[in-house]
Amino acid sequence: MLTSIPSIRKKQIIAVTGVMLFGFLLAHLSGNFLIFKGPEALNAYAQFLHDLGPVLWGMRIGLIAAFVLHMFFTALVVVENVKARKARYAVTKDQGEHRTLLVRLMPYTGVTIFAYLIFHLLDFTFVEKTGFINGVDYGLYGLVVNTLSNPIHGGLYIIAMLAIGVHLAHAMQSVVQTFGFANKCIRPKLVQASMVIGFGIALAYCAIPIYLISCAGSGCLVK
Amino acid sequence: MAAPKTISIKLKVWRQSNPEAKGEFKTYQATDVSPHMSFLEMLDVVNGDIIKAGDDPIAFDHDCREGICGSCGAVVNGEAHGPKSQVTLCQLHMRSFNDGDEITLEPWRASAFPVVKDLVVDRSAFDRIIAAGGYISVKTGSAPDAHCLPVSKVDADAAFDAAQCIGCGACVAACPNASASLFVGAKVSQFSLLPQGQPERKSRVKKMVWQMDSEGFGNCSNAFACEAACPKGITVDFISRMNREL
Repeated sequence: MLTSIPSIRKKQIIAVTGVMLFGFLLAHLSGNFLIFKGPEALNAYAQFLHDLGPVLWGMRIGLIAAFVLHMFFTALVVVENVKARKARYAVTKDQGEHRTLLVRLMPYTGVTIFAYLIFHLLDFTFVEKTGFINGVDYGLYGLVVNTLSNPIHGGLYIIAMLAIGVHLAHAMQSVVQTFGFANKCIRPKLVQASMVIGFGIALAYCAIPIYLISCAGSGCLVK
Repeated sequence: MAAPKTISIKLKVWRQSNPEAKGEFKTYQATDVSPHMSFLEMLDVVNGDIIKAGDDPIAFDHDCREGICGSCGAVVNGEAHGPKSQVTLCQLHMRSFNDGDEITLEPWRASAFPVVKDLVVDRSAFDRIIAAGGYISVKTGSAPDAHCLPVSKVDADAAFDAAQCIGCGACVAACPNASASLFVGAKVSQFSLLPQGQPERKSRVKKMVWQMDSEGFGNCSNAFACEAACPKGITVDFISRMNREL
């Protein structure tokens, strides 16, 4: 059945699910930024999400489905691509400017993001939402501060976010091409926009652990 | 300083006696190569020496040697059709190389293009894609009245740009995934842009993409290496158009 799906449709499924995951990244980032506002704001937002109940579960199931489909069809496409060139070139030279490098990195950045996602869920989702700062329990806020101000946890977070940046830098303009809306007039701007938005989001995410690591122990975490 | 009258090149060429053979690189020395020679003329001279030595000459595809038939093609130092932009291998001249250069010459590498011998690959997969839908069905007989089918200049130019594809396979060779999307995109577009292509427009793209997938070409990753390698300057806009048409 899978072989009857045209190659272009497979790419379009990857693109649609990728756009859904991008939407999640934006929503998650906007929530995460409440860390700069203080414990009340972040914990209230977490409580708000928790109180959504079935709606939250609907969103979670949609997100998981998008993630699974994105990875499944990507794996399918990668296997087909490897089969399409069993004999490798002795000499290779990238033709097509920087894009070929970004394309080659896609599976690696994808796997990095997935591996970190598991680590991230173990850090924040499948644990009790408590975190003590100076002997006071600040709940989820304290958990986030204590975890991400740890150089190993914060460092891995930064590496994963940079992988997301590289992934998005190619993926965003690729989506437009895959759906057939790109052309030579808009492509240069599209490539630039993809880079700026991709790395912009990655850097915005990175700002959180950088801030927390730089403030750790200095008393600026809780005013 | 004046350029040398002749140059010497060390060639590392993929030699494979038949489709089942393992194949290996063999090294040849091309001496007294005129910079004005085409790449294929240089190979002719090297083959002359190989034949004189009693060995099997290097097999390579060629026909018009004018850059319009799409027969020739090899990967030169990792680049399909060599280092010059929008040039076929037959139109690549030895002045593009320096005295003492080492050149690695390989056939198009794609599972859908099995090696027949040395640098010759079987590109009949492209023929089957065309047979699947790369045509229009029209009433034959007397010539139609002139201008009975108006075509806008913009569409005519775009269709012509697509129709410049010579089916050489460089797009497949250069693609990191050995995808034939640029070829199929161009062939789909050249018809879908013109009134004659409209009756079969929807079915054509489906049939051609299905055949492309069946032949074992890879998927397009939007690396655009195909566009950089295409000797006719076919743009990835036609891949975009194909994606929209499906």
